[in-house]
Amino acid sequence: MENDNDMNENFPVDDHLAKLNPDGEWQPNVTQALARFKERRDGSRKRIWATVGVLAVSACLACAILLVKKADMQRVSATVKTVKDGQTAPDFILKDATGANIWLSAYKGKVVVVDFWATWCHGCKTEIPWFMEFQNKYKDSGLAVIGVSMDEDGWKSVRPFVEEKKMNYPVVIGNDDLAKRYGVDSMPMTLLIDRKGKLAASYIGLVDKGIFEKELVRLLR
Amino acid sequence: MQAGEAPFDFEATFRAQYGRIARIIARVVRDPARAEELAVEVFLKLWRNRKAQGEKTEGWLYRAAVRKGLDELRRQNRRARYEHLFRFVRQVPTPEDIRSAADEQERVRLVLALIEPRQAELLLLRSHGLNYDELASALDLNPASIGTLLSRAQQAFRKEYIKRNGER
Repeated sequence: MENDNDMNENFPVDDHLAKLNPDGEWQPNVTQALARFKERRDGSRKRIWATVGVLAVSACLACAILLVKKADMQRVSATVKTVKDGQTAPDFILKDATGANIWLSAYKGKVVVVDFWATWCHGCKTEIPWFMEFQNKYKDSGLAVIGVSMDEDGWKSVRPFVEEKKMNYPVVIGNDDLAKRYGVDSMPMTLLIDRKGKLAASYIGLVDKGIFEKELVRLLR
Repeated sequence: MQAGEAPFDFEATFRAQYGRIARIIARVVRDPARAEELAVEVFLKLWRNRKAQGEKTEGWLYRAAVRKGLDELRRQNRRARYEHLFRFVRQVPTPEDIRSAADEQERVRLVLALIEPRQAELLLLRSHGLNYDELASALDLNPASIGTLLSRAQQAFRKEYIKRNGER
């Protein structure tokens, strides 16, 4: 044990672990978290009842649902399952705040930044002004930014946020299917898509603004 | 819950413990927003587990939080390894890589992901301020063995850290 103490003095494990303390400014938001908890808890209750309901429908209706599902799955598997750099970015069609369709494939020929974000995500809120700045600065060179919000209550939270921040690029509401296809399991997640529609880089977590901009400019050349 | 015991007030427990649980997870995972999300998942697990609702809830929450964080950390590391392999083709370092390489926090996280999960849990909860009795209760261990286990966990951490980074 004496030996352990000596070693601990030379190599204080606690000091290393103390470096893991989160940002001092960060405060977990209990009220928001409780609302999210209740939403998910009630959602799972609803899902249980929905499952019971689905089991109770007639065989004919079940067949119809299965056929629709099968067609849907075929359409998804025709795209990329989990996107990797160098692969074609899976296409999506989603509506923006004005109800207009945003097709990713319509942006072919441009360098596209796809930002998966949410109004409750601190890192996302840091990045949004940067993306607005890039949109202004490089729009004429062929840049397009698309924000895909993953807020569970959709436009209810997103619309006021977009208006308040005066976001200058299209924002759409994402869904679970899209998240699965792009492998989004944490936010912020940002994708850089080149002019050929291929994924050039994906960033999980807060991007480094300077390096991200350099990569952006390289793709715009 | 035993007969005669006061009913468990879930919302009060949530309000009292959520911040601490989110902070435990945030020490392990990189992104505070993700930590908040995982903390909600810990409470959903508690809500589903009636047996954990009672006087031992606090210890249960700490254990569940630290496990949730470590699971996420290992998942992130697996993902980083696959992306690393893929970069042989791409060869463009992401900002994440550059920042991670320079980041002491990432080095500590990597070591925690590599040592025995039980040892990582012990170290994290201890460094979060739990005393020996609280550790024993949270991890279902004999209080008399905590000192030895902690010492072994520190040795394992030290060995893995030095193996990967040299002495710092």
